[in-house]
Amino acid sequence: MNESEPSQASFLDRWRLRFGHLPWYRRYEGLLLVVAVWAAGGAWLLPEAGRPDLPVALAVVAWYVAYFLAVATVLVDREKPTWLKRIGSLTVLALFGWLFVRYSGTRWDRVQDQFFAFDRMDGVWAMYLQGLTVTLQLSAVAAAISLVLGLTLGVLRSLHHPVLELFIGLYVDFFRAMPLIVSMVVIFYALPFIGIRLPAFWAATLALVLMNSAYQTEIFRAGIESVTRGQSDAAAALGLSGVQTMWHIVLPQAFRTIIPPLTNNLVSLVKDTAVAYVITVPELLTNAQHAVVWKRTPTPLILSMFLYLATLIPAIHFTRWLERRSARWVAR
Amino acid sequence: MSGTGATGGRDPMIEMQEIHKFFGPHHVLKGLDLQVERGTVVALMGPSGSGKSTFLRCMNRIEEPSSGVVRIDGMRINELRVNIDQVRADIGMVFQEYNLFPHLTALANVTLGLVHVRGRSRREAEEVGRAALARVGLADRADQRPPELSGGQQQRVAIARSLAMRPKVLLFDEPTSALDPEMVHEVLDTMRELATEGMTMVVVSHELGFLREAASRVVMMDDGRIVEEGPPSQVLGEPEHERTRTFLGKLL
Ligand SMILES: Nc1ncnc2c1ncn2[C@@H]1O[C@H](COP(=O)(O)OP(=O)(O)O)[C@@H](O)[C@H]1O
Ligand SMILES: [Mg+2]
Repeated sequence: MNESEPSQASFLDRWRLRFGHLPWYRRYEGLLLVVAVWAAGGAWLLPEAGRPDLPVALAVVAWYVAYFLAVATVLVDREKPTWLKRIGSLTVLALFGWLFVRYSGTRWDRVQDQFFAFDRMDGVWAMYLQGLTVTLQLSAVAAAISLVLGLTLGVLRSLHHPVLELFIGLYVDFFRAMPLIVSMVVIFYALPFIGIRLPAFWAATLALVLMNSAYQTEIFRAGIESVTRGQSDAAAALGLSGVQTMWHIVLPQAFRTIIPPLTNNLVSLVKDTAVAYVITVPELLTNAQHAVVWKRTPTPLILSMFLYLATLIPAIHFTRWLERRSARWVAR
Repeated sequence: MSGTGATGGRDPMIEMQEIHKFFGPHHVLKGLDLQVERGTVVALMGPSGSGKSTFLRCMNRIEEPSSGVVRIDGMRINELRVNIDQVRADIGMVFQEYNLFPHLTALANVTLGLVHVRGRSRREAEEVGRAALARVGLADRADQRPPELSGGQQQRVAIARSLAMRPKVLLFDEPTSALDPEMVHEVLDTMRELATEGMTMVVVSHELGFLREAASRVVMMDDGRIVEEGPPSQVLGEPEHERTRTFLGKLL
């Protein structure tokens, strides 16, 4: 007892020294008291689970906001440790989830057997494989064609030829402003009336190419223009032709600027193949929707969601890796 | 070797006649004449904006003269039927900001023109390229990229890049202006060596020590015109024109 007393006294002294200058609401004791009162109030006030009436719901929201404010005082406090801020933020999220589960009226018991009814999925897996194949084919064909077209138009646009500039500018503006779903529907459902019939797959490809090559034209042009005049001057002074200069000097350097927006665009393109659902292309989403009707459960839709994520998240990480790699020879 | 203005009978390496250049309405070069004899070093100097760079860039048509005649080695090069790429291959150019290709190694910078313009095999080109790098004292930097080199080293690689093409003439546009003071001499030393080896050079520079030593002729420009020209001892030592005197006064 006697031995521990001096150290305890010094602990209290140190505590006072460290935190005594703070206003009460920034001190740990103050915060602890606030949270205790808040928790007691919750235990006493919070209604039963289920959908509450509006005034009660507002009271619940107010109770939640009170906790949020308490955590916020910790978050804006520079002297509080990071781990406390992290835990505080996490509890805010967790509390939101808990309140949502308790009061939103969602049928939680159904999530399992409606969204994850894997026992009813026989025969569906083959459809997925088919759908995924079509999605990847559509992505690859559309990406390849629009890259060639976008690169060509981007290079042509960077020449600032007055006539080319006008036509390419019009093309780019038109297809950047046109919603993809509109051009796809027009190509597939409207053009046949004037005798132009495209199979669904190629109608979808065409719409994807028109839109994405317009975006890519701008990406390539900006990349090309980011290479300084001195570079093409030096290449020309060596006797390289315009085409050689573009190929050996300008484009390799432009790619450094181009890679992030271009890979973004390609990821969008893969996602946008889902729009081909509206013109009956048998891609991933279409097949999932057929399976929903066939099996009478939304599980296939949930699964297709995860399939898109499983395909595209690695793709996004790959693009990050590319960016880091190309950043290596950036000038100091 | 050096003369003032017209030199009847000889065949100059570069001959510029009545060169005018407009940028939009802006009259930048106002009827310039210049002859550069074989094996001589002609220096261009003058205040910023006087048109030195533009004039130099007209010599290999990186900038297109609005009117006038450009002759290189007796051949008129500002004509439609001239293959300008082949002409430029014979004219080396060194820029103020080096303009090395940052995505290529020093050696690849030097061999690019040999492979793609001269059509040499890669093996042959690398041999010539390494020799050119050795000549500017950078044999051991062949595999480094420009951002890893100092300013002075980059400018010497740029000189090697031009030399590897075995040019008839070298154009320098303020090659030491972007360099830290302690690196200026290494570039000037390289240029001095080239001059003593008999390379024909046109140099935009205000390094008076270098000009006194290496230049055959100094040309003073102002406002798109030639104010005076002559041997360095005269133009730098006892200039005739007030404009030259005030300009030199500001340099010192
Ligand atoms: N590409 C260009 N477009 C428009 N004006 C230019 C261009 N290049 C140079 N000029 C103008 O021409 C004049 C001469 O420039 P320059 O030849 O670079 O002079 P110096 O090299 O003697 O400093 C300057 O007034 C400059 O603004
Ligand atoms: Mg200049």
